[in-house]
Amino acid sequence: MAGKQISVGIADMKITRQEGILITYALGSCIGISFYDPMIKLGALLHIMLPERNQMSDANIYKFADSGIRETLRKITAFGAVKGRLVCKIAGGAKMFEMKGPGGLGNIGERNTNMVKKVLQAEGLRVSGEDTGSNYARTMLIDVATGVVKVRTVGKAERTI
Amino acid sequence: MSINKYEEMNEMELDIIKEIGSIGNGNAATALSSLLSAEVKMPLPKVEILEFNEALGHLGNPEDVVAAILVEMSGEIQGIMLFILSKEFSDEIIFRVTGQPEVDFLNMQEIETSVLTEIGNIMISSYINALSSLTNVNVTLSVPQMAVNMLGGILSLPMAMLGLNSDRIMMITGKFKIEGRELDSDMLLLPDVESLNVLMRKLGVV
Repeated sequence: MAGKQISVGIADMKITRQEGILITYALGSCIGISFYDPMIKLGALLHIMLPERNQMSDANIYKFADSGIRETLRKITAFGAVKGRLVCKIAGGAKMFEMKGPGGLGNIGERNTNMVKKVLQAEGLRVSGEDTGSNYARTMLIDVATGVVKVRTVGKAERTI
Repeated sequence: MSINKYEEMNEMELDIIKEIGSIGNGNAATALSSLLSAEVKMPLPKVEILEFNEALGHLGNPEDVVAAILVEMSGEIQGIMLFILSKEFSDEIIFRVTGQPEVDFLNMQEIETSVLTEIGNIMISSYINALSSLTNVNVTLSVPQMAVNMLGGILSLPMAMLGLNSDRIMMITGKFKIEGRELDSDMLLLPDVESLNVLMRKLGVV
């Protein structure tokens, strides 16, 4: 994997073309969603934190699965990506702590995963690679030259999804 | 006047929160000191209001492997208490309690996990007891949970909880030194915005 490495923060999204690596670190209950159009070698990586944007006033569009995915699709199609060609992969949605509290906090990862899949499906997109759930954090990266998506975790070998 | 966003807090309100953090951390340090029979010191706490990525950057690299004990607060104060320990800090505690010189951080024995969880729990409880008797608020603490994993992943839970209506989080941080050794640890009090109003009201600041 050669080329520049572009880091995607929490509640953030980056797009690049032809070459370079988009990387987002240590997804816990958050989800990383990669979008790739192989024809024009355009890739995007989105890092969402919560399932749903309830207040339209919330300016931080990439914080939520629903608004984040829609905005990413809007941007990449403007750059020439075609929805029918997109390859989408997801990672994250872990349950870092076994919470038993009243807040329903413990299953935020699962709620994120379900919402991401639901929104992608509503957009007519299929998840073609996935590494979600369990109780550990994941760093996710996509090589835009090849479309290869990798996930690394603590104490385990890097894997391609 | 009520606080609607962390960043709206004025100097006086921030000072009050810092003082609460100072008393809480002092109690947690005393608890740790008596558990380990060692001198535990801590510098003055900091109150920081930071955007998610800044908050993470402040505590370390997202892929740093740390141990963390997390307790959810409910009742009049809502939010999270998180005690984050580096491998060195956790080794030091386990060595002092069990005599075990070094621990396989990612595959801890049950005894080691319970030692860390219990010490974290006692420190957090001491912190919250002090906060609660100082301000006369009722706080219910959840059963403590421990994880050893990437810092970024660990912080995703409090961020998701506090980030629903905010793009920043407030961290009241404290660090501990065991017998002068600088070992990385962070005690974080992460209250939601409404809890700050409760604290101010209870302390007669309106």
